[in-house]
Amino acid sequence: MTVRIASDAIHLEGRCLVEDAETLLVAAQDHPHIPIDLGGAERLHMAVVQVLLAIGRPVRGAPADPFLAEYIAGRAIGGDIPIKSA
Amino acid sequence: MDELLEQFLIESRDLIAVAAADFAALARNPQSTGSIDSAFRAIHTLKGSVAVFAMVPAEQVLHAAEDVLERARKGAIELDPETVAVLMACLDQIDRWVDDMERSGLLGSDAPAIADRVSRELSSTQSASPMDERASTLDDEWVARLIVREAEVLAQSAKPLIAFRYAPDADCFFRGDDPLAVVAAVPDLVALSIVPEAETWPRLDEIEPFSCFTVLEGLSTAPREVVSAAFRMMPDQVAYAALDGPSRRDEDRTPEPETRVSRVLRIDAARVEALGSALGELLVAINGVAPLAAQAESIAPGLASQIRSVQGNLERVTGDLQRTVSAVQAVPLEPTLRRLPRLVREIAQSLNKAVDFSMSGQDVEVDKQIADGLFEPLLHLLRNAIDHGIEPRDARALAGKPATGIVSLDIRRDCDTIVVRLTDDGAGMDPARIRRIALECGVLTPDAAETLSHGGILRLIFSAGFSTAETVSEMSGRGVGMNAVETAIEALRGTIDVESTPGRGSTFSLRLPANALMTRLLLVEAAGDRYGVSLDQVVETVGIGNDRLLPVGSGLACVLHGRTVPVLSLAALLGRSDRPQANAKLLLTRSGGEMVALRVDGFGERIDSLVRRPSGMLSSLPGVIGSTLLGDGGVLLVLDLPELAA
Repeated sequence: MTVRIASDAIHLEGRCLVEDAETLLVAAQDHPHIPIDLGGAERLHMAVVQVLLAIGRPVRGAPADPFLAEYIAGRAIGGDIPIKSA
Repeated sequence: MDELLEQFLIESRDLIAVAAADFAALARNPQSTGSIDSAFRAIHTLKGSVAVFAMVPAEQVLHAAEDVLERARKGAIELDPETVAVLMACLDQIDRWVDDMERSGLLGSDAPAIADRVSRELSSTQSASPMDERASTLDDEWVARLIVREAEVLAQSAKPLIAFRYAPDADCFFRGDDPLAVVAAVPDLVALSIVPEAETWPRLDEIEPFSCFTVLEGLSTAPREVVSAAFRMMPDQVAYAALDGPSRRDEDRTPEPETRVSRVLRIDAARVEALGSALGELLVAINGVAPLAAQAESIAPGLASQIRSVQGNLERVTGDLQRTVSAVQAVPLEPTLRRLPRLVREIAQSLNKAVDFSMSGQDVEVDKQIADGLFEPLLHLLRNAIDHGIEPRDARALAGKPATGIVSLDIRRDCDTIVVRLTDDGAGMDPARIRRIALECGVLTPDAAETLSHGGILRLIFSAGFSTAETVSEMSGRGVGMNAVETAIEALRGTIDVESTPGRGSTFSLRLPANALMTRLLLVEAAGDRYGVSLDQVVETVGIGNDRLLPVGSGLACVLHGRTVPVLSLAALLGRSDRPQANAKLLLTRSGGEMVALRVDGFGERIDSLVRRPSGMLSSLPGVIGSTLLGDGGVLLVLDLPELAA
């Protein structure tokens, strides 16, 4: 299970591949008010990440992978979402 | 005034001047990258400065201007003369707001509305001139955005950077590509942004989860070939740009305004004045050595020559010191004059006249006192030139002149004098009309009207109470104008002259001493006393035989250089009795535009001296500029020749 819905958050865990993008999208639509937790993610596919960015919801937790931690959990999402051009 | 605000006023005007000079250069050549860069930096810094104060509208306008310049810098748009004109108008508005801050510490209540209008004008010009090639616009835009977004990384990086933009195909997921994994493999990655391919991220109910709608942009410190190797499977989806880092890019530029600003040490003017004052005392003290040497001569000739040698050394060293102190007091005229172009545009606009204004010689350095005192009279002369000189458009067309009037201000240094010439190609002055009005205003009697020369008639415009304006306009024509100008110039120990040709235009020439700190004085004798006269008021000294003095009416005159010059006795002007002399020693000066000779008993030495403005009882004496101390402790009165001879 790579997209797990808990009462407090939507957890992305293990290797999240291209097919998990749709699961995440549906989960986010069904649960519009809970954050997304990346703490358990080992790998995130581009398809998952772009859905994550489109959801635009606060994320929490840092993946162990340094690349994901810095550029996905840290910079690309954590408070520094690329400025949307007007 | 609040020290922070004071500093802001100085610095913001410096920056406005830098940007104004750049915009002027861009008006001539809108593609000058050096000027675009320099203007961008000035506007950017200015934006930072105004943010400190309650100047949100100014920030808004500067932001809009910065945006245009930033896009021009990256080649996303090409500046055209109209855009430069709008940028200049923005800067003028900022300048007015800085004036507001100085006056009241606040912007006017209309400021937000003005800011909206100006910003709109800017953004409309901005979209008006896109580059022809859409593709290159795209290229440049992503680089420009990335540079802004990753400014911090760029600033910190000492190495050259490769920027990449990877726009995966929409169906790349079906081919098994994971763009994120590709980018994660880029060596030496220092920045990455994942941005939507469209302008914003799609709404959740519009998302196609198996279609890639994302673009990845990043920076790497690895060489270009190493970065492109990471994208070797999808070369057609990636664009690159080499960024050298900000420091490197700046190297080949002309000196930066920031550097120029930081090299300036601002000193309280009072301290420099104190320095000048002390130097004056030193000069006076040294003047006391010469009589000492003379005294020693009779007792010990060897000692006398030694004293003279010491005196020579002291004079040489203090001469150097004096030049240095004068140079410290000297400031370029440019900061004084930098507001003039804007004010000319405003005046011309309010009078619905087209005026092309140019300045040259603003870098001439003058004593600070002169620089401070020159702005008001110059502005007044400019107002007059535009209001009364330059004709309305239709009148110019009738006269066969171009619709745009030309007004130029030229400043140059001529030895110890600063010569300022203000020329317009307007209607010029009609001597007959000036004479008629002077008679009506009562500044001229019918008798005097008969004898006045052409130049003398033109000078009537400087008389108190003279006004040529048939209707008093908002700008000028209240009858105090030109008189006030002359008074202000004379207060700076300067002179003003006017030449005019009806139908062709007028020229006002101002002559001002370049160096107000030390005055070169000529000592003269009259009625048994010594007086000082400022050498910049002396045109010539001549000695002629008494037989060449000719009685004219109740006075005397002589012919010099083919012209008849009235001769007045200095002693008589000072209320003393004349002493008969074998020869006539004459001091030629200019008073009210006419040459006048003053007869003196003798000429003495020339000295450099610090002339103190008259105070106490002296200030009520007419014809006295001030006083100075002599080496022997005596006080020398310094005379104002033009005033005495008037």
